Amino acid sequence: MGLKKGMLAAVIAVSTVALAACGSKGSQQDSSQVLHWSEPTELQTLDLSKVVDTVSSDTISNSTEGLYRLGKDSKIEPGLATKTQVSNHGLKYTFTLRKNSKWSNGDPVTAQNFVYSWRRTVNPKTASQYAYLFSGIKNADAVANGKKPVTTLGVKAANKYKLVVTLDKNIPYFKLLMGFTVFFPQDQKAVEQYGSKYGTAAKYMVYNGPYKVAGWNGSNLNWHLVKNKDYWDQKAVKLQKITFQVAKSTTTSYNLYQNKKLDETYLDAEQAKQLSNNKDYVSLKQSRTNYLEFNQTNKEFQNKKIRQALSYAVDRQQLVKKVLGNGSLPAKGIVSQDLASYQGKDFATAAATTTGVTYNKSQAQKLWREGLRELGVKKLSFTLMGDDDDMSKAVTDYLQSQFETNLPGAKVAVENLPKKTRITRAAAGQFDVVLAGWAADFSDPISFLDLFTKNNAYNDGKWDNPTYDRLINVSKTTDVNNQNKRWQDLVAASKLLSQEQGVAPLYQLSQAQLLRSDVKGVVYNTAGIAFNFKHAYIAK
Amino acid sequence: MRKYLLKRVFYMVLTLFLVATITFFLMKLMPGTPYSNQQKMTQQQIQIMNQQYGLNKPIWQQYVIYIFGMLHGDLGTSFQFSNQPVSYLISSRIGASAQLGAQAMIFGVFFGIIIGSIAAINRNTWIDTTSTVVSIIGKSVPNFVLAVLLQYYIALKLGWFPIADWGGFSYTVLPTIALGVGPLAETARFVRTGMVDVLNSDYIELARAKGLSKFGIVYHHALRNSLIPLVTLIGPYTVALMTGSMVIENIFSIPGIGEQFVKSILVNDYPTIMGVTMLFSAGLVAIILLTDIVYGIIDPRIRLSGSEG
Repeated sequence: MGLKKGMLAAVIAVSTVALAACGSKGSQQDSSQVLHWSEPTELQTLDLSKVVDTVSSDTISNSTEGLYRLGKDSKIEPGLATKTQVSNHGLKYTFTLRKNSKWSNGDPVTAQNFVYSWRRTVNPKTASQYAYLFSGIKNADAVANGKKPVTTLGVKAANKYKLVVTLDKNIPYFKLLMGFTVFFPQDQKAVEQYGSKYGTAAKYMVYNGPYKVAGWNGSNLNWHLVKNKDYWDQKAVKLQKITFQVAKSTTTSYNLYQNKKLDETYLDAEQAKQLSNNKDYVSLKQSRTNYLEFNQTNKEFQNKKIRQALSYAVDRQQLVKKVLGNGSLPAKGIVSQDLASYQGKDFATAAATTTGVTYNKSQAQKLWREGLRELGVKKLSFTLMGDDDDMSKAVTDYLQSQFETNLPGAKVAVENLPKKTRITRAAAGQFDVVLAGWAADFSDPISFLDLFTKNNAYNDGKWDNPTYDRLINVSKTTDVNNQNKRWQDLVAASKLLSQEQGVAPLYQLSQAQLLRSDVKGVVYNTAGIAFNFKHAYIAK
Repeated sequence: MRKYLLKRVFYMVLTLFLVATITFFLMKLMPGTPYSNQQKMTQQQIQIMNQQYGLNKPIWQQYVIYIFGMLHGDLGTSFQFSNQPVSYLISSRIGASAQLGAQAMIFGVFFGIIIGSIAAINRNTWIDTTSTVVSIIGKSVPNFVLAVLLQYYIALKLGWFPIADWGGFSYTVLPTIALGVGPLAETARFVRTGMVDVLNSDYIELARAKGLSKFGIVYHHALRNSLIPLVTLIGPYTVALMTGSMVIENIFSIPGIGEQFVKSILVNDYPTIMGVTMLFSAGLVAIILLTDIVYGIIDPRIRLSGSEG
């Protein structure tokens, strides 16, 4: 009885102090610190081993804390790791974790949570679609293919707060990967407790990040993130709440924006054209380049001049302005802009070439004639394959007209297929020329450049250039620990790809957005995690 | 009657079974995998995934497993919404679609009957012409155009109703109107035609001769008889509306089933495709049976046991 009374008194005392604290720190508990955000699709899962879409990945990354957090310009910010030691020539990482982080069920966040989470994701039974990102961590490939038990994965908890990771090969961007959702920790107790329901609704999940998810029942169109009072760095979090509203039509979200029900909205191409002078207009570059891939098992496309002619024949400025009109940019090369930088210089700028990505009609015609002569033909008919969504159709139609008007004797048949069919056919080499696209998984040029090495599984066009392969290989071996040399190798490789026209880069996708100007501190990145709300706030 | 019903129910089950079978095999003919990150997975990874989900088994085996599960009430789990049972996806989303569909149907039929009747009574006057024009516009303007206009003018400019979202009754008003104008126009057209015929018939002459009031004639005699063709129309329309309209649901951000169905096909989410198709088909065959029964009630000349006689 006495104990109960004592506790009651303690509770009252604590609440009084807390209330007083609220009063004094008015700005921190301000009810105006609420952000209203739109999402183009539903939240699909909170299970980080299973996540495949941006909305879910962003939600998880804002409600879970990993070793690092992806900050501005794809640079990592501190997360759970207070100290990171790299040894054995970059093959061993020792992370010391902070002790003041806990899950929303009260469990402490420990090194074991990482070991468990990583093993769970790589385990083929989990069927994670992103397990391949673990490739390079000791035995990850073998575990993912079911050849070795999960316990052999190169991740160990040396003690409660010390995580040791062993790599098979040096990964220069390994710390960056640690800021990605799929490498975040999971609480084994929660996974087992919720079983098959784990991650299917807000209440079947535990959180240790800046915010906690609330109000998501697994299939509804509204949910919110609320500030997590137990977050280790909660002082840095200013927003009390972020509400999310799914609006699949940008007309709807724009109406809600005008009505001040939303602080942000995506825009479609038509709206983007009209609102491009609005003070709230933002263009969000995406780490996705669309390019033409030539089937180089066909002798016509083994001819470099034919490939170059086709590339010179396309006016990319007109393509992005007139055909796309959604803020997309002409490609400078295969690697997207704002993806990675070194010594203040963006990779795409460093690797920009004049050949391979510019429009030059006379040059195109000259190369085309020479190419045809070398092939011993007067005409060339080929099929251009692309997706069957409106945007891809517009682009393939445009390319068809450019080829046929600019290149005498070119006959182009356009074939628009459902995306998954296009991918399957391209992978099987059943195409002449395909309008392909690739989105980088992480902010490093290699995310694009790896694709076009001879034996890469995604090199659908079978472009084969020994110099290119050597450059990529050197960047991964000899020069792997020399940031400057590695950068130079990759720049040279990217230039070579453009000049030789292994593929013809066309445009980089961009998403137009309106973001109210008093919303500050929202971090956007082109790859990995789109929006980081940790430091966001409403200015007054 | 009972024998007839049993027979009909048997055919219903048979129909559903056939629908399930055909859908299943057609669905498996679609290219691609249910994995959204397909492009970045190697063949080997895809094979490992297929193994986990039993998609590497011969198709007939997958079919048997699916049918067996369905008979036990297990519709499988969604690929798109990881780990989410399809039965939950449907049950959590059908409510909004059904409510909206029912409201749109009630709205459409109610006002359709009124407009149609008024037009028929005032045949060949300006009232008739106006109502015909309204019906034609209602039928030919796509509901999403109307939805966008309503949203912009009524919700954003006038602020009478919410722009989008799903909360209370006020949230349902604009989508109900957008969705209900189609059945309204259709009903008005049917009722007008039916009633013009009826009003010309002998028994109406007789009723008039007996000195019944105009309203009495229309309400007691003309309306009831002109509703019969409408029953055929309402049944399938109701199913179509109640199982969700993708466009209207998208415009008003309504958590309904319509969009789910289309999306599931686009992403090869096999269990969801099957689940929603079965729901649609079950709704349709049930409503067809119901329509036949209702026919008998409003028009005794149509006898249910007709086929036996």
